[in-house]
Amino acid sequence: MRKIAIVLAVTLLVGIAGATAPTGAQERPLVIALGAEPRSLMAMRIVDWTTNVQQMNIYDRLYYWDGDPPRIKPSLAAELPQTPDDLTWIIKLRPNVRFHNGDPLTADALKWTIEWLLDAKNESHYRPRFSFVESVDVLDPLTVRIRTKEPAPVLRYYLVDFTLQNPNYVRQVGNDAASRQPIGAGPYKFVRWDRDERLVLEANPSYWNKPPAIKRVEFRFIPDFSARLAALLAGEADIVKDVPPVAVDQVNRSGQAEVRGISSSRINYVALVNFKSGPLQDRRVRQALNYAVNVDEIIANLYKGRATRIPGALSSINENVNPNLKPYPYDPNRAVQLIKEAGYDPTKLEFTLDSPSGRYPLDKEAAEAIASYLGKIGIKVRVQVNEWGTHLDRIINRRTGEMFYLGWGPALEAQGTIAELFRAERTYSGFGTPALAQEINKAIPIVDARKRQASWHRIQVMLYTEAPWIFLWQQHDLYGVNKRVTWQPHPAEKIFLHDATWTKR
Amino acid sequence: MSEIAGALVPVLPQSRRVRRRLPLNRGGAFGLVVVALVVIAAIAAPMLSSYGPAESALTKTLRPPSREHWLGTDQLGRDLFTRILYGARVSLAIGLVTVGISGAIGLVLGLISGYLGGVTDVLLMRLVDVQLSFPFILLALTVNAILGIGLQNIILTLIITGWVVYARLVRGEVLALKALDYIEAARALGAPRTRIIARHLLPNLWTPVIILSSLQVAQFIVAEAAISFLGFGVQPPTASWGNMLNEGKTYIYNAWWMTTFPGLALVLTALGVNLVGDWLRDTLDPRLTT
Amino acid sequence: MVQFVTRRLLEAAVVVFLALTVVFSLQFLAGDPVKLFLPTDTTPKQIEEFRDRLGFNDPWLVQYMRFMRGALRGDFGDSLRQNEPALELVLRRFPATLSLSGVAMVLALATAIPVGVISAARRNSWFDHLGIGATVLGQAIPGFWLGLMLIYVFAVWLRWLPTSGRGTWLHFVLPSVTLAAFVAARFARLTRSMMLDVLGQDYIRTARAKGLAPPRVLYKHALKNASLPIVTLLALQLGQLLGGAVITETIFAWPGVGRFLVQALLNRDFPVVLVGAFLTAVLYSGLNLAADVAYAWLNPRIRYE
Repeated sequence: MRKIAIVLAVTLLVGIAGATAPTGAQERPLVIALGAEPRSLMAMRIVDWTTNVQQMNIYDRLYYWDGDPPRIKPSLAAELPQTPDDLTWIIKLRPNVRFHNGDPLTADALKWTIEWLLDAKNESHYRPRFSFVESVDVLDPLTVRIRTKEPAPVLRYYLVDFTLQNPNYVRQVGNDAASRQPIGAGPYKFVRWDRDERLVLEANPSYWNKPPAIKRVEFRFIPDFSARLAALLAGEADIVKDVPPVAVDQVNRSGQAEVRGISSSRINYVALVNFKSGPLQDRRVRQALNYAVNVDEIIANLYKGRATRIPGALSSINENVNPNLKPYPYDPNRAVQLIKEAGYDPTKLEFTLDSPSGRYPLDKEAAEAIASYLGKIGIKVRVQVNEWGTHLDRIINRRTGEMFYLGWGPALEAQGTIAELFRAERTYSGFGTPALAQEINKAIPIVDARKRQASWHRIQVMLYTEAPWIFLWQQHDLYGVNKRVTWQPHPAEKIFLHDATWTKR
Repeated sequence: MSEIAGALVPVLPQSRRVRRRLPLNRGGAFGLVVVALVVIAAIAAPMLSSYGPAESALTKTLRPPSREHWLGTDQLGRDLFTRILYGARVSLAIGLVTVGISGAIGLVLGLISGYLGGVTDVLLMRLVDVQLSFPFILLALTVNAILGIGLQNIILTLIITGWVVYARLVRGEVLALKALDYIEAARALGAPRTRIIARHLLPNLWTPVIILSSLQVAQFIVAEAAISFLGFGVQPPTASWGNMLNEGKTYIYNAWWMTTFPGLALVLTALGVNLVGDWLRDTLDPRLTT
Repeated sequence: MVQFVTRRLLEAAVVVFLALTVVFSLQFLAGDPVKLFLPTDTTPKQIEEFRDRLGFNDPWLVQYMRFMRGALRGDFGDSLRQNEPALELVLRRFPATLSLSGVAMVLALATAIPVGVISAARRNSWFDHLGIGATVLGQAIPGFWLGLMLIYVFAVWLRWLPTSGRGTWLHFVLPSVTLAAFVAARFARLTRSMMLDVLGQDYIRTARAKGLAPPRVLYKHALKNASLPIVTLLALQLGQLLGGAVITETIFAWPGVGRFLVQALLNRDFPVVLVGAFLTAVLYSGLNLAADVAYAWLNPRIRYE
């Protein structure tokens, strides 16, 4: 009996000892609580918000969005790209930048990274995006020329948040090792990645911009939102994303943290699917649905004002947004009138609205609210709540009801939204007409900035009339932040920690 | 969910079967009262409260318990007391339907397996083993990944996981009974199978099945709460104690009532049902003394 | 004995094989996961390319054979989400789950067995009533609610303990208590009823009549004979603990296998899900086998069936 007790005790101690992480840092790290760990630490491999947010701090990027309204600014690049002709892009890199292992960052790194991601055996998610690249040449140690097969003005946006690999390093150790021990040129160096627990980074003292003020940064992975909130309120985490609007007061009153919000470039909408025959094929019915929902009231009551109404598919901070559009007014009578004009009886209409649950702030509650407004003019709407994987699956496989709720973003330019969501064959689209497709396809290759802008503006007016969605709002990203941290949210949802500091007491 | 280890209680020492009628002890009485309350709440919910369970009032969100809202309101201004009452419906439905169906399936399969023996028995028991090798939660999530979420799929999941416990128990009992003299005598005399099953086996199986059922009800109710708590079960606005806990956990720090009261409802119900089960066991089958 | 063990091993192998086959087939019902892992602007043609490369366009049987051949070698393919070998990813999380379950089990036994024994020895005393009350309550309180309440009280309000994660021994406290509660309650009840049963038996009364000191009587004779069902339940509970720590791991952000498998299911990362199915089947069968062997060893009557 005693022997058993001893064995158990020893096992216990060994188990605990194995779990205790080695302590080191004298200074308290800045802790950001995220819901998932990165999918990879290899640059330019996987398109995923959580992954990119963390990688950004290790690798830095060529260009980034900044300012209000957001505009593209250079970081690892020295200046904005030049386009001497429709098919040529010249990118100049910043001088005197070094990777964490001391290697200089030269044009070779950019050429290498582009060719790496284009190589099928590296299985990069970015490969389809850059498929129009024909050649990449080094003109001098800091200049790269990219030639495209056809005019590709969208490349300007693809170069934003573009991270650079260290060619010497990757060539030497191979993909696997390089993704486990990443070497970048960013403000923070990789220290350790404890799977499912934390990613530990430390300041890079030779960062090209002044070295970061906060010496140690930890991304901690806590899947459950309320646990992240608990960590924030207990002082264990310093930055937490997506505080629900109704929880804002409790965070602000905690004395420990406060909510900092920013109008996001991510939008929410209800897609009106026109793939199958039915009432939604008629533009008048779709417009009617827009008139029938009191979006402003939903924003005021449900979100406590923490969402910004948008008249169309682009957020107000999007570079290509048409500023002249006004949102559909709330006019239930007009809605009924339009439906009748189209030859339908509102009280005989029945729709299913697919909604995710907890993916976007108050998504299913908003879906319920929308359903009840439509109910007020007699339309029966059943809200089908889906778990996230199922929701995406339904949308991708065109198995949703007549309507579905979705968010899209971050989006600071038009093509990434309009070309993806309003052409019928695209993966997440719920709508398409030949006229629209034609206009969109014409707009994509336009290089001239003014003509391009005019094109997108015109398309937005078309979309307004076509009413492929019940247009809703752009989210407010609400971050819970430790009061002692100076850090401001970013409209494209990036958490770049270079400028973060502890406030002086 | 270790809660769903089920009645994998190993076989206990045999003693002569004695039927006694125990007086209702305190535990059993308390349990019956609780169960009665839950049933009343479920049936009479609309009469007990003037609010609707999905009636949201966005101007009265996160209010603490007060005279208008006895247990407070949630993040959409819905009355908590009302939702707890309606939540009893879900719990009751889950409890009765899943236990009924899984019990029936388990009884039949266990009977077949135990009585026929041989290949059928081996196959069925392997199936049981495969089933049991999946932790309950993972099985529930797998079903949800394939079929989607919602009340029906929860019931389906619970039935799929629940029948095995019955099957095992019934098989064990049948094996024990088969060896008894009067059963062997009946077979020797040439009595048809159905007669043996109906007249000799089944009557002796009701007791263990009922006892097991009373314990399973509590476990199923808690299991549904667990799945809804993870976000995969009954979806709002339908009120289930589990999804109320799920929604409430985000607001726990300044709206403690949102997690406390549904949690208490759950605990008391599970407690009550367990106590009733214990009392039944004491009354019907004193072999298994507590 | 050898024959007994061999037969059980074969049966276990069959179970594992069946479990794998079932889960493998299920993934075809769940829809195509590949699209979920690619960026939103991938064209349908490019998606097809990815599917081809990963072998998802081959017929069911071909995929199944490929999977089984790989599985025998220990190669379950790469995680769709992280592009690293699925088996490695899961195994790496095992120590965390084992340590948490181990601590919880030790905690449970250390409280449950003494409580059960003393309750039985002092039947109907205030201790007994308290004990029964606690065990009944312990079996009724859902783990996730207990976990939430504990976090609120001890971590956020009192700030005595951390809210989540793994780090120092302090991080073990709340999750292991949450996990242990139910198991402890169950064991306490079982121990008590076993002890009561055994204590009533003749040979105990004989030992007592012989004048052997009571504690000796209790622990040596009674507990040894009561240990049979306890051992069996131990093995089964350990298996359930390991698998069932899922909710606890999720609430406390504990970096274990349960939490990882749930995320894999949510993300439709099937290679990882299959590894999970494999490992849980192996574990369960292994524990079952261990329980059977222990039972047979402790009770020679069973061996000859």
